[in-house]
Amino acid sequence: MFVINERLWQILISSLPKLLIPFLTISLKITVLTFIFGTLLAMLIAIVQIAEVPILKQLARAYIWIFRSTPLLLQLWIIFFGLPTLGFKFSGFTAAVIAYSMNEAAYNAEIIRSSILAVPEGQIEAGYMVGMNYFQIMTRVVLPQAARIAFPPMFNSLIALVKDTSLASSVTVIEMMAVARQIAARYYEPFALYCETGLIYLVVCTLLTKLQSYLEGRLVWKSTDNHPSITSGNKAQEAA
Amino acid sequence: MLGVRNLHKSFGSNEVLKGVDFTINDGEVVAVIGPSGSGKTTFLRCLSFLEKANSGEYIFDDLDKDITKITRKEIKALRMKMGFVFQNFNLFRNMTAIKNVTEGLTVVRKIPEDQARVKAETLLDKVGMLDHANYYPDELSGGQQQRAAIARALANDPEVVMFDEPTSALDPELIGEVLSVMTKLAEEGTTMIVVTHEMNFAADVADRIVFMENGRVVEEGPSEEVLKNPKEEATKRFLRRILEHDE
Repeated sequence: MFVINERLWQILISSLPKLLIPFLTISLKITVLTFIFGTLLAMLIAIVQIAEVPILKQLARAYIWIFRSTPLLLQLWIIFFGLPTLGFKFSGFTAAVIAYSMNEAAYNAEIIRSSILAVPEGQIEAGYMVGMNYFQIMTRVVLPQAARIAFPPMFNSLIALVKDTSLASSVTVIEMMAVARQIAARYYEPFALYCETGLIYLVVCTLLTKLQSYLEGRLVWKSTDNHPSITSGNKAQEAA
Repeated sequence: MLGVRNLHKSFGSNEVLKGVDFTINDGEVVAVIGPSGSGKTTFLRCLSFLEKANSGEYIFDDLDKDITKITRKEIKALRMKMGFVFQNFNLFRNMTAIKNVTEGLTVVRKIPEDQARVKAETLLDKVGMLDHANYYPDELSGGQQQRAAIARALANDPEVVMFDEPTSALDPELIGEVLSVMTKLAEEGTTMIVVTHEMNFAADVADRIVFMENGRVVEEGPSEEVLKNPKEEATKRFLRRILEHDE
């Protein structure tokens, strides 16, 4: 029977900062870096496809195909254990950021591409009819609308990424899972320690989900109650 | 003056426009009517270069050129002289009604924001939308969106405004407000090409009616004449069907 006695409480409390520190300094750092690099790369991969750039478009499709059809853990191991054979040596941390970024880019590229294509053709035609060129239509009409469409799935992939950072423990990165394993082994309390670690993931991901709902609410195109131009318009009319 | 001679357009093996001749003079209001699939909308989209015609001559004021040879730069300049009102409004969803009107002015013509706003307010007032200037399209009814879209189409002081079935996507009770704005524009002397199913509008407002069927202009003439004494059998058949439907 599993009981939480005083000794276990002590272990759980004393291990909390030991888990949180690597989580904040390593896991979240990997997440943030990966999300930045992964999204930038994803934009490139999405744009060469939408702009139908020959050769690059086929390369983009091949890239997405490979990275979505093989496990992330395998990609990580190829970069960390495999590439040194070819003379490319990375630290565990760098290898993790590279692998995650490349993997993330494949998924996010598809989100970005489909979000851009989801903006109705009529929006583009309307842009042409007011005299805009392709670049103006993209930056002022299509991308702002696509960003709103892409936001929920992009945020989902960010949340998934927070959890996937745990795989970095397999390439010598001392992130939260690696620390949890060490503590669990030292006290012979794997059940309690892994539950505690799980709780931290749960809390962080719940907070992120809340943040997502909040930001989604902010992203809706809604007028505020304060309509400055109407009042100024009325004033102009009164004056006239 | 805007016109085309012998305009052809195919989608794959399907020939939608089979040699259309058309002219509109300044200040004229022309209603283009005809059964669905007759090519009315494609015709209007070729005039505005939203579709690439396969062959034909294009005339706009002093320009008279093979339509397939018109350059991208010329198209852009021509579009600045036209307004286009879509069936589905197509207001920029990420912009308020007033921003929709000012966007072309500030971004394309580089008119300062405050001047563009003054102009946009005048136009929104004209279509009865000044009270809703700061609302986003999603917060507006179809009729309100279409009126704002008309204001946007007028922003460049166009020489001709094209309407592609402007009331077809509207609930019946909202059609009137859009038609009354269009009637007002016609009375002010705006040159308008209106693809429509609204026979009353065609009868009351249009100077001339063009009846299309099967990718060809079958009959055209002063509105009253075409509606009351159609010469062609196809026109008679179409009008009979429409009238039966209305009763």
